[in-house]
Amino acid sequence: MCCASQYFDIQMNKINIVDPVSMLSPDMKLFELIDSHPSLLSIFLRLDISLPFGDVSVEEICRREGYPSDLFLMLCAMHLSSTYRPSDELLRVDMLKGVVAYLRASHRYYIGYMLPHVASHLDKVLEHCDMISERALRSFYKDYVGFLATHFEEEERNIFSLIECPEARVSSDFSMLEAPHGDIDDRTNDIASLVFKSLPEQVPTPLRCTMLDHIYMLRDDLRRHSDIEMYLLRPLVAKFKNTK
Amino acid sequence: MKRTLVLIIEPARVVAAGVESLLLRSGECEVVATYRSVAEFEASGERHAQVDVVVASVSQLRAVEGCEQLKDLPVVALQTALVDPESLRGSVATISIYSTAEEILRVLREAHDAPVQHNYAESHDLSERERDVLVLVAKGYTNKEIATELFISPHTVISHRKNIVHKTGIRSVAGLTVYAVLNKLIDSEIL
Repeated sequence: MCCASQYFDIQMNKINIVDPVSMLSPDMKLFELIDSHPSLLSIFLRLDISLPFGDVSVEEICRREGYPSDLFLMLCAMHLSSTYRPSDELLRVDMLKGVVAYLRASHRYYIGYMLPHVASHLDKVLEHCDMISERALRSFYKDYVGFLATHFEEEERNIFSLIECPEARVSSDFSMLEAPHGDIDDRTNDIASLVFKSLPEQVPTPLRCTMLDHIYMLRDDLRRHSDIEMYLLRPLVAKFKNTK
Repeated sequence: MKRTLVLIIEPARVVAAGVESLLLRSGECEVVATYRSVAEFEASGERHAQVDVVVASVSQLRAVEGCEQLKDLPVVALQTALVDPESLRGSVATISIYSTAEEILRVLREAHDAPVQHNYAESHDLSERERDVLVLVAKGYTNKEIATELFISPHTVISHRKNIVHKTGIRSVAGLTVYAVLNKLIDSEIL
């Protein structure tokens, strides 16, 4: 995730807020993009774009990978700013395929990388807990992962598959897209609250902080994921429906 | 039996007079004073040290929350129209102009014993009653079942649950169950 200092340019005792989104362009060198916003590395992981990049631009790497560079930059912008919303004129129906591919890849990223990563930190925390606390927290986290996995599977089955199938896309209503993701946010926050307030005292503070850091990183990423569904996928589906 | 001392804050005089008359007739309550707004109460300079429950118009709840003299008192919202549930924040229960005398008296009795909402600066430890409610939530009881089990109204259960969420920062039943286990309020076998 981006640290706050990346958004501020402190000069002459004045703080000028720099809009990260306005700094993105297809001509940017990839190194320049990542060097300024290291959190975007996770997008490369999700899209399976391999390193090293060499001295290539965003445009060049997107062409090489067959991914629309404008969509790629929209995704970067949505990850960098919780308030960025792509305007309607930037959205093209042919972006649907790329958005769904990205959302599917994000599901894989959560299940295969981020959630196990948090789990491995949880293991370290649990080494300092009594058996009862260990059992309670392990069971809660396992249920949380199961809850997310089920949600992802339902989305893939009830939304993504239909979008990918041109015939089904025309006749489906995609009402599940309207469903809020509040449950996911609540459950993720619950883990943070438990770690923050209720872990036994013997868990060392550095371990607690690292654990919280990872949970908040996961929570923020899931929020951006939900924003992409809400403010990119949903308007694109509506646009597609309107053209039919 | 000691009478419940009530302070009324209601802009509509006819509504305030109606509630006051109803409480006086019951013999269970005494109306300490009636004000049209929190501003009027503050401007009066009166202390009213002996108040048990505040009955306040929904329009005055936010002002009541910010009023130093009233902050530790249980507040019952007086509803005259349909409102957004969020606007009832800060009250432990609700009565409306359509409530019967029995309902109003029961709510006031319960409010007298109900917990007061705390702000962030105060302790986040759960009260004994909140712990009772939490244990039953963790055991999968519904609000109605908890109310029956603890001999309190569903309104009071909801108020306790709001306080629990506020203090623990945990919203899901699964999370509250783990909280209860970690804090040794229930046996881990429940998991």
